[in-house]
This record gives sequence, C-alpha cells and structure tokens, in this order.
Amino acid sequence: MIYLDNAATTPMDPRVTETVEQSMRRDFANSGTVYRIGLDAKQRIEKAAEEIAEALRLPSTHRLIFTSGGSESNNLFIKGLCFPDKKTAYLGLEHPSVLATLNYFGIFGNEPVRLLEFQRQGRMSLEAVAFLKKERVRLLCLSHVNNELGTVNDPEPLIAALRKESAKTRIFLDGVQAIGKLSLSPEVWPGLAGYSISAHKIHGPKGIGLLAYDSRLSLTPQIHGGKQQCGVRSGTLPVPLILGLAKTIQLAVEEVGETQTHLKKLNRHLIQGLKSLEDSQSDLNIRFNSLTEEDASRQSPAIVNFSFPPVEGEVLLHHLEEKEIYVGLGSACSAHSKEPSKILTGIGLTEEEARCSLRVSFSRQNTLEEVDIFLQEFSRAYQSLYPTFCKKPAGK
Amino acid sequence: MNEARTILIRYDEIGLKGRNRRFFENCLLENIRQAFQGIHGIRFRMPRGRVMIDTSASHAEECARRLHFVPGVASFSVGFPMQPDFDALAALGVQLIEPHLKEGGELKFCVRTQRTDKGFYKTSQEVNFEVGSRIMGALASKGLTVNINEAEFVLEIEISHKECVVFDNRVAGIRGLPVGSSGSVLSLLSGGIDSPVSSFLMMRRGCKVDYIFFDNQTFLGRGGYDKVLRLSRSLNRYQTGGNVYVVPFQDMQVAIRDHCSSENRVVLYRRMMYRIALAVAEKHKYLGLVTGESLGQVASQTLENLAAVSCVVPISVFRPLIGMDKQEIITHARKIGTYEISIEPQPDCCSIFMPPRPATKSRIEKLERDENKFPWQELMQAAIETMEVIEPESATQVETR
Repeated sequence: MIYLDNAATTPMDPRVTETVEQSMRRDFANSGTVYRIGLDAKQRIEKAAEEIAEALRLPSTHRLIFTSGGSESNNLFIKGLCFPDKKTAYLGLEHPSVLATLNYFGIFGNEPVRLLEFQRQGRMSLEAVAFLKKERVRLLCLSHVNNELGTVNDPEPLIAALRKESAKTRIFLDGVQAIGKLSLSPEVWPGLAGYSISAHKIHGPKGIGLLAYDSRLSLTPQIHGGKQQCGVRSGTLPVPLILGLAKTIQLAVEEVGETQTHLKKLNRHLIQGLKSLEDSQSDLNIRFNSLTEEDASRQSPAIVNFSFPPVEGEVLLHHLEEKEIYVGLGSACSAHSKEPSKILTGIGLTEEEARCSLRVSFSRQNTLEEVDIFLQEFSRAYQSLYPTFCKKPAGK
Repeated sequence: MNEARTILIRYDEIGLKGRNRRFFENCLLENIRQAFQGIHGIRFRMPRGRVMIDTSASHAEECARRLHFVPGVASFSVGFPMQPDFDALAALGVQLIEPHLKEGGELKFCVRTQRTDKGFYKTSQEVNFEVGSRIMGALASKGLTVNINEAEFVLEIEISHKECVVFDNRVAGIRGLPVGSSGSVLSLLSGGIDSPVSSFLMMRRGCKVDYIFFDNQTFLGRGGYDKVLRLSRSLNRYQTGGNVYVVPFQDMQVAIRDHCSSENRVVLYRRMMYRIALAVAEKHKYLGLVTGESLGQVASQTLENLAAVSCVVPISVFRPLIGMDKQEIITHARKIGTYEISIEPQPDCCSIFMPPRPATKSRIEKLERDENKFPWQELMQAAIETMEVIEPESATQVETR
C-alpha cells in the first residue's frame, strides 16, 4: 500500500502507540478525583501539558485546552470568543469547521466578513488589513496551512501588519495542517489569540486535539459540565490520549527540520515527475493548484494539489485505489458533497478543473520510490481514462 | 403477577385461505421460530387461527421486538396464562387497571372475552359480567366506569379448553403473508431509496427476496457496494438469508458510453441489467424480477422506457412502487428503517456515464441498432462469470460462479 493522503489523517507513530497503550493499561483513574490514583492521573496530565507548552515554546500568557480534535478547537475558540455579535472575518478558503462555524453566526444576523477578493494564490494578501480595520473586525480566522492546497498564511508579517494598521483585530489560526511541517517561531505567540492542533494529522491518535489561546481572553464554554480545564471545556480528561498527544507533538517539533527536508525532496520529485509526464504525453495538461515553490513560508511541502482535465479526479482516485495507492480529493468533509471543492473554485478554478483534481499529501513516512510508483500508475490510469473523458459529450 | 407469559399472534390474511391454509400457517410458524433464534425456553403452539408462544416475562419483551419484523403477523398481544377462575381473573384485572387510574379522574373500561372452546360452562357475555363486576367492586370508588363502546382500557380474555390468557394490549404487526409462502424473486438493488422499499413490499407479499447489484468499483469506488450490503442486512431483518449477487458492470457501462448514442445510454444500461438479472433468475429459478421503478419519476421510468426494458426479458417484472409518489416511498422507507442508509451520499453514475439529455421515449429499433455497435453478449458473459454472491451478514462470498 502507498498512502499519500496524509492531510486526511496519518498512520500512528509506533512510539506514540506505545505511550498510549501503556497509559491505557495503567491510567484508568479519573483525574478529577482526590485520592492517590486520581491525583497520579492528574499529575500525568499536568506533565504532558508542560511538555507540550515547552515543545511549542508557548509563553505563560497562553493556556492549553484539550479537545476532541481540530474541529472542536476551532468551534470552541471562535464561538467561545465571538458568539453571538462580535465581528469576524475569514478568507473563504478555510476548513469547513471554521467556515460552518462562522456561517452559523449569520443565522443570528452577524454575517462574517469574507475576504476572498484579497486571496492571492490561496493566501491572504496583506492589503486586506486596512479593510479589516474599516469593517471593525474583532477576530480574523485563517488556516495556517490550507488543507487542500498547502498554501501558507505566514503569521509573522500578518501579525506585524495588524499591530500597525488594525490593532483591535485579533488573529486565530487553524494550525492543524501546519504543525510538524512548519516550525512555529516563539515570537508569533504573543500575536496569536488562538491556535488549534490535532494529533491524528501528525501520527497521533484520533479523538484528541488542542486549543492554545491567550488566557487573558475569556471564552464562553461550549460544553458545560464538571468544570474541568478551568470550566472552559468540561468532560473527564482522556489521560492516554493526552499523553499520546504530548508525545506526538514532541516528536513532530523535534523532527520538524528533518521532516521538512524530506517532504521537500518528495514534493520536488513529484512536481518534476508530473512535469516530465506532461512533456511526454501530449494529451496531459497539468495545472498546479498548490504553489510549486520551495519557500516554506508560502507553501507547505506536504501537499501537492493539481488538476488534469478532462479526467475526473474521483474516477482517477478509484483507479489508483485498485493499485493500492491512496490519494485525496480534498477535505474529507467536502468529499461528501457532490459540489466541486469550494477552495479550488475559490482560487479561480472552473468547476471542471476543480473536479479534475487530486491532492497528494506526504508524511515523513513516504519515500521517493513511492512517488515513482505513483507517477507511473497515475500516468497509466490517465492514459486509460483519457479516451472516455475526452469525447464528452458523446454524439450519436 | 407470575413470571409466565403467553404471546398470542393473529394472522388475519392467512385465516382467509382455503385448503392450503396449513401451508401458510406452517410457513409463518417456521419464520417466527427463525426470528426467535437464540431465545431459549420458548414453546410454540398452534390452536386454530392463532400462534401461541409460551415464554417468560424476561424473554417476552425481546420476542415482541422481533415480531415487528415478521411478515404475516397481523397483530400480537403479550398476555398472562392462567386458570379460568373469575376471582383470579378479576384480581389480575385490578392489578393491571390500577396504575391507569388518576385521582379524581374517570377511566372507561370493559372486558371482552372470546372462547375458542365453546364447551366452557359460561358464555362470553357471562364471563364479561362475572369478571367486570368483580373489578368494578374493587375500583368503582376510584373512578372506574364501564363503557363498552368507548373503553379506554380493554381487558381481553381468551378461553380455550384447558386455560385462558388475559391481556391488555394489541400491537399491530406488519401484516401480509409469511416470507417464503409465495416463492423467490430477485430484486435489483441500487443503494437509493426506492429499491429497498420495493424489496420489502415483495417480502410482505410472501416472497423470499435475493438481491442483485450492478457494481462499478473501478470508477465509483467501494462506497456503493458497502451501502448495498448494509441495505440488504437491514432488509434481511424481515426474512432470513437474502444474498446479494454483485455483478461487475464497469466494462459494460464504458462500452455503452463509448459506442452508443448518448440519449439512449440509461435505457441501454437498464436493458443489460435486466438481461443479466434474467440469466441469474433462470439459473436459480427465481419467479420474477423486482425493481423500484415508479412511473414518471425519472427519464428512464416513462411508460415507453419501461416497455423498452421489459421487452428484453421473458419473465415477470414486479414494480410494487409503480403508482406511488416519492413522498409515499420515503414514508415506507422510514418505516422499514432503510431511509437513513439510502440517503447517505454515494457516488452514483458520475457525469461521464449520465447523458446530458436522456431520451424519455426510446424507440426499440434505435436501441437495437445501438446494441449492434458493441459486443454485449460477450461483455454480459464476462460479467456473469466474474459475478460474486455475497452473504450480507458476514460480507463474505457464498459461492463462485
């Protein structure tokens, strides 16, 4: 099997599996109880939180909240801070857990500001900042790394521009696709109101994620109950998953340099391979939807998104599946709807170009040989499907 | 109240049968036995016009739950078996009625007795009076009144020659005829809302239903296949052991798409599906095909197009939904529990297979001319040879052909 859909989820790192398994056998006690084994569980969680804060080089102003994953972190921060009437803005290329949360505000008459006119190659242009001030936006929500394109909204220049021109606009970044692929400079934290992380995108377990946010902000809880985690997010804490998350983040941060070098190698190999396929096959025209440059402050090396009309991406995906090669169509959530990806049409693709696209996403576990096999099978599948698609619509 | 319970099952439609009534009754009894598999300590009896099941209070609830899935059951009641002693009957009646009485309120009630043993020393009317008056004696002061026509609580007593059963409930079953009493049919299952409903309706008319699914995993992935297995598992709650014939259809679809006129494509796909289903039906002795077509619902379901597909198969094609509108079909689907599965998104014939403008009135000569343009006989043979038969419960292959 060749797994190239790591933006959807990743296989677990055996080192993390071991941590989780060991804790599952050992740490059953409720960390909210007052007897020893409960206190032991609580200590383990505190230690994990410290390890995470250290790995992320989080300043003391920022607090960690454990959640069930990226979607919950995004919901908790955006709703908790802005619901129902604070003005929000977004680019229009975010993950559904950000888009749908903001659109939910619209039901209450608080339409979020969409900045799609300021998108350039899948990233937000800094020209938007003046507009944010004019619209009196309180929270700007962006993907750190776009989940379908891999394009990067670099927080450093953005924070600097906001400080200068629209000081009342805070920024929230969905960092689910960024961590482990890009290094986050500790200087950006003071400028980040909130940041979300999910374990399963970086070889950790599913069902656990993180919200790191500026604790001077007050978040309205979205889950009420036993007042765990300072009352911000109630619910008995899953000790094994939290220890797994800590291990995952530690490994991701420790190995980020190595990982990035490796991902860049894979990325370059794939892009070059696709370009030479295009040169050798007259009927293959590839359009790269992600950026083909190696500057990690603009494009994550983990994701390559490209279109190849007239062959439909989903059909090609199933042909690759028969060879046990797994690639992505875009976000799994939008893979459920028949509409073409809003992210791709958002950056200016036609519906056909959007439908005729694939997302290849790497992890540190992929190899150059796997990219070669992918290229070979992609080319084979494309050639066999091309005649079926090119004469559409068939005449009499 | 003691632990013993008797479930009394009524099956009015079978009761109308003449000389072959015994056959239908045995079929129903066998299906109930199958449905109760795994529940221990049950005794079945079949006095005239009834199925009686002796069980315990702890099993009665599970038995009742499963009876909702047995076609042929018109209604059933979970009751208390006892001796026909008026004092004891009244005492049980008081115990059952009391929780329904509200302080200061009125509760209208009556007793209805039926004797399957006419040799019993009192008439039904007399039993009603004996038991009713004793209950009134105990509860009249608490607001209980007798009202035969508008009773809110009916205490029913069935007296046979050895014992009697008392019950206070009648639960509607799904009626119809027992599965298997009408023979076997082959249902074309697609994963949509309609075909599971038509399969169910045929089961309810006594058919054992197996399913046939035309799969195109190369283009559409395994999603459709998984969905059809889930649907057939859900439908099999109403019968035992319906299997799914899975026919690889991609080569046929590609050939039709590449060689035939685009407006005829859908009807041509369907003609091939019917032909393959016929081949399976002939080999395995199914007495008809079942489809979920409803007149005029989509382009392929006009009278002309239905005729254009039916004419390729010399076998009965049953279309139980033909006169229903979508809303009625959805109501059925919700009731039988397949709707939630059917509406899950599934890649269907993606844009490359569906024509931009399908013909609503196909002409048979034109269809035949199209069919001369590709080797459908060979493709059909290949599809049948690579077909698999899957048992949906275990998702494993039953046999290879």
